[in-house]
Amino acid sequence: MYPAQVGYYRPDSVEEALDFLDSNEGKVLAGGQSLIPMLKLRILKPKYLVDIGDLKELSFIREGEVASIGATTRHSELASRKVPGLEIVQETASKVGDIQVRNMGTVGGSLGNADPSADYPALFTALDATMVIRSKKGTREVKAGDFFKGAFTTALEPSDILEQIKVPTYKGYRQAYRKVVRRAGDFALVGLALLLKMEAGEVKDVRISFTGVGERPHRPLEAENALKDTKLTDGDVSRAMELAVKGVNPPSDSRGSSSYRREVMKRLLKNTLEEMRGAS
Amino acid sequence: MSYAGKSVKRLYDDKFVTGRSTYVDDIKVNSLYATFVRSNVAHGVIKRMHKEDALKMRGVVAVFTGEELNQLIKGGIGPWTTYIDPRPWKIPLWRFAQGETKYNGEPVAMVVAQDKYTARDAAETVNVDIEPLEAVIDMEEAKKDKVLVHKELGTNLGYVGDFNAGDAEKALSNADRRVEVEIANNRLIPSPMEPRGIVSQYDGANLTIWYSTQIPHFARAEFSRIFNIPESRIRVIMPDVGGGFGSKAHILPEELAVIAASIRLGKTVRWTATRTEEMIATNSRHNVFRGEIGFKNDGTLVAIKGTLDVELGAYLTYTEGLQPTIIPPMIPGPYRVRDLAIRSRAIYTNTIPITMYRGASRPEATFIIERIMSTVADELKMDDVEVRMRNLVREDQMPYTNPFGLKYDTGDYPTLLKEGVKVLEYNKLKEWAESERKKGKKVGVGLAYYLEICGFGPYEYSETRVNEDGSVIVAIGGTPHGQGTETAIAQLVADELQIPIERIKVTWGDSEAIPAGTGTYGSRTLAIAGSAAMASSRQALEKMKRVAARSMKADVEEIEYRNGEFVHKKEGKKMSWDAVAREAYSGKEPGVSASVTLEGDVTFPYGVHVAVVEVDDYGIARVKEYRAYDDIGRVINPALAEGQVHGGGTQAVGQALYELAIINENGQLAVTYADYFVPTAVEAPRFKSYFAEKYHPSAYLTKSKGVGEASLIVGPAAIVRAIEDATGKRFNKTPVTPEDILK
Amino acid sequence: MQVEPGQRVRIRVKVNGVYYEDEVEPRKLLVDFLRENLNLTGTKIGCDTSTCGACTVLLNGKSVKSCTVLAVQADGKEITTIEGLSSDSKLSPVQQAFKDNFALQCGFCTAGMIVQAHYILSEKREMTEEEVRDMIHGNICRCTGYQNIVNAILDASRRMRA
Repeated sequence: MYPAQVGYYRPDSVEEALDFLDSNEGKVLAGGQSLIPMLKLRILKPKYLVDIGDLKELSFIREGEVASIGATTRHSELASRKVPGLEIVQETASKVGDIQVRNMGTVGGSLGNADPSADYPALFTALDATMVIRSKKGTREVKAGDFFKGAFTTALEPSDILEQIKVPTYKGYRQAYRKVVRRAGDFALVGLALLLKMEAGEVKDVRISFTGVGERPHRPLEAENALKDTKLTDGDVSRAMELAVKGVNPPSDSRGSSSYRREVMKRLLKNTLEEMRGAS
Repeated sequence: MSYAGKSVKRLYDDKFVTGRSTYVDDIKVNSLYATFVRSNVAHGVIKRMHKEDALKMRGVVAVFTGEELNQLIKGGIGPWTTYIDPRPWKIPLWRFAQGETKYNGEPVAMVVAQDKYTARDAAETVNVDIEPLEAVIDMEEAKKDKVLVHKELGTNLGYVGDFNAGDAEKALSNADRRVEVEIANNRLIPSPMEPRGIVSQYDGANLTIWYSTQIPHFARAEFSRIFNIPESRIRVIMPDVGGGFGSKAHILPEELAVIAASIRLGKTVRWTATRTEEMIATNSRHNVFRGEIGFKNDGTLVAIKGTLDVELGAYLTYTEGLQPTIIPPMIPGPYRVRDLAIRSRAIYTNTIPITMYRGASRPEATFIIERIMSTVADELKMDDVEVRMRNLVREDQMPYTNPFGLKYDTGDYPTLLKEGVKVLEYNKLKEWAESERKKGKKVGVGLAYYLEICGFGPYEYSETRVNEDGSVIVAIGGTPHGQGTETAIAQLVADELQIPIERIKVTWGDSEAIPAGTGTYGSRTLAIAGSAAMASSRQALEKMKRVAARSMKADVEEIEYRNGEFVHKKEGKKMSWDAVAREAYSGKEPGVSASVTLEGDVTFPYGVHVAVVEVDDYGIARVKEYRAYDDIGRVINPALAEGQVHGGGTQAVGQALYELAIINENGQLAVTYADYFVPTAVEAPRFKSYFAEKYHPSAYLTKSKGVGEASLIVGPAAIVRAIEDATGKRFNKTPVTPEDILK
Repeated sequence: MQVEPGQRVRIRVKVNGVYYEDEVEPRKLLVDFLRENLNLTGTKIGCDTSTCGACTVLLNGKSVKSCTVLAVQADGKEITTIEGLSSDSKLSPVQQAFKDNFALQCGFCTAGMIVQAHYILSEKREMTEEEVRDMIHGNICRCTGYQNIVNAILDASRRMRA
């Protein structure tokens, strides 16, 4: 469990990092909590590591109608900061891995790694966040829904750096990130990001996103649509449960089988919706 | 002044809490690092090895094949003949893989380099051509003998033995009720936190081996046999050892290769397993009992008939031979059933070899008999306590010889159950759980009983030496590695010698500093090594008395010793302990020391444990509370004993709910440490541990029995029972997964 | 700073109050740097997959798993290991509480566990048992069953508030 030989570049700015990545075969290193295990297993053997972990310009949390989170913001910083309208971000960050991992790992690192069982992909998909990506060619924005291409695959090109995540706030929404784990600290067996806006006893808006159930975060739009304008009766909830798993074929692994995961998806959605319904 | 019975603080904790402990990987000695190229098939012919690229790399010293290593590794790893009779066994030669590989993950080549990073780099360039052969991964499939793991054995059945007592067939036909049962424990990974490691130094004549082991003296004997080097020229030193749980009484081909390389190269070579290698090195359990039980309508169990299948993996390890021969005679447990017919089979598969793990055989036997008891209770709609009460061996039957000839020494099993139910508030918990369930919560309470066999002989060594300044060194053959037994033994010795415990140092684990020894395993150390230490200390005290008598010109009978003073009874003259020690080194026959090699035999602690389980809507179960009431004989240090209950109990939680070593169809271990779920503080229950005040002593001088394995022996049965109570479903295996619960 | 594959680079770290400089390959893990280059073997390697926490150290005051940090990432930073928690012969309140509460058995997880305990107590002085359990779930102990560890941390928290 020792990384293969690798070069190392530590830029003083994002600009420098982009220059280097443009002309060298490098892998961006932020906190390393996803990357270093892969280096140790020698699944990845990049020529250079480009260490952006300490670049101040990438570490920030800015509040606003649309909040923005710098890519190298540590999980622990996110977990200790409540952003109005984005309480769910704090909740999610506080559930990543364990304290030590949260102290070192970054939000951008986790997103760039795109583990199919990670927490943030589902979160930012539910929030309809925008990934701001920089390269020598310029800056481009990619919606979370388009960012995650597959297991461990994103819209990031090798010479790209994820700069920040722009997140619309959801004031007046009930928000929750819930995950079922076999053991504390483990990746999600199934995770659910849920935002719900109720007015006068009716669902005005709902956003549902699962992790751990496929190669990418799963946002069941049919279930969302079916819930809109309902009173969230038991019948509405069970209809949404069925729609949430429609067409989903979760993986089977040591955490549980595909059919078990589907069952957990349904129950997680039901319990979280009921919890929110009860909170009114 | 008396130390025994008190929770005296552990004597040697400072080094651990300040980072000055020395485990094998912490030893600073100029050495080369070994790493291994491993087979990626479960069964195959090793065709060709390309090592030229590796040898060209900077810092690479050697690459060895099995052929080369086995020129030095003359004998194979074999069963622990102290406890295992090899005669009925079919045993393949187990050395470093040569010609064929028999399991996925088996080392097939060794790289030696200047540092571990380079060694790994080099290992990646070593190409080993392996032509796959048909493999048999599944134990059920292996039984059919269609694919053989070892052609030369002609079968995959390494052992078949019949354990018959009374007339099971007749008892079954006379029973009021007959029920079929299938009871299984799946494969585990013991997972001591310190991965195994070894450093081997060869100086041309002598071998010095630092080794993360529980059995330095046996290891020396095995190395001697395997390398054909006299024991006198091999020194095995056990540094601090970070847990073993039975898995470090197990010798690996990797370790033999390290020794072979150090001899061949004339250099010091070391290997510390990565966690992945540790997981491949040691798997444990996997046994299935299938059979039929017969019982009367009043709950009396009258017969057990069935077949026990125990998986061996690809080779017979040093310790796994215990299981197929100890599980069957322990199946009757504390109960009176006398008609049993058990066929025990041990089966080779093309998988990671299996070794013993905490409890070794008793957890399997206890799970089987406790599941049987619970089955009887369910079938007859009887209470768990009542059905056990009906079957327990009574006090007037003690000492009791069980149907397979094991002699249960002391105890009062029904009284302990009665007391335990009260102390642990079992009935109150049951009522509480029922009322919670009515409110919609899935909580349950489970109880299980166990009888353990421990305190194994054949012997243990101790030497007590009084130094010139009056301080005392006790050298024991036991090898504590976390249990804290050294502190308990110091307590016993301090009481014997009536001197402050601070003046005593207990030492162990060096095959040259300690002339003989067996080790720490099987909950034996306090009973047997503690008794040996008491005996050697008594003899040393007698010698001190003789010195005092000589000095005070008295007969030894005229000397009385108390509280650190030797008193001439008639004349009232006194000499302090220290003065006598000094005197002992100034006259004739200088020095005071006494050594004993104490023989010992098994003893039988027992107890009742209760688990409280909560199951959530996803089928995820958590053990909220774990309570234990045990008669472990005399308790020397209650806090240390409780620590064993807590630790074993948490491993029981792991076995019952979380831990499962999955081997995929390619024979590959399909879990990493990230998803082999060793419980964390979140999954661990709250413990309440009690010991019977009116204990039943063992025959050992310490009067103690043993507690190291109790909770892992009985815990899985108690926890599974609690899940049944919570869910209303039936489970006869470990682990019970969330999926099983939701099904 | 640019280092070619296979080359070494000089890094400077302050460990337990002492500055050290040494040359390392970029791939060298912080835990190996501490153990091999600085001879600080109190920090242990238990799992390699950032699961077990035996390698926990403080990096600029925050607990991290040093098996999943590169030595170069620690360049210019401050590190505290188990060896740096007690001054002279005086144990820290956490170390003392571990001894007093039988919070260790084999001792292999102890260094990481104690460093983590120091960290969580630096963040939060008063905790419930539940919170302590949650905050140490990145540290695996196979021997103690955790109860005595949790008790020790609660005990240390009381001592530190007294």
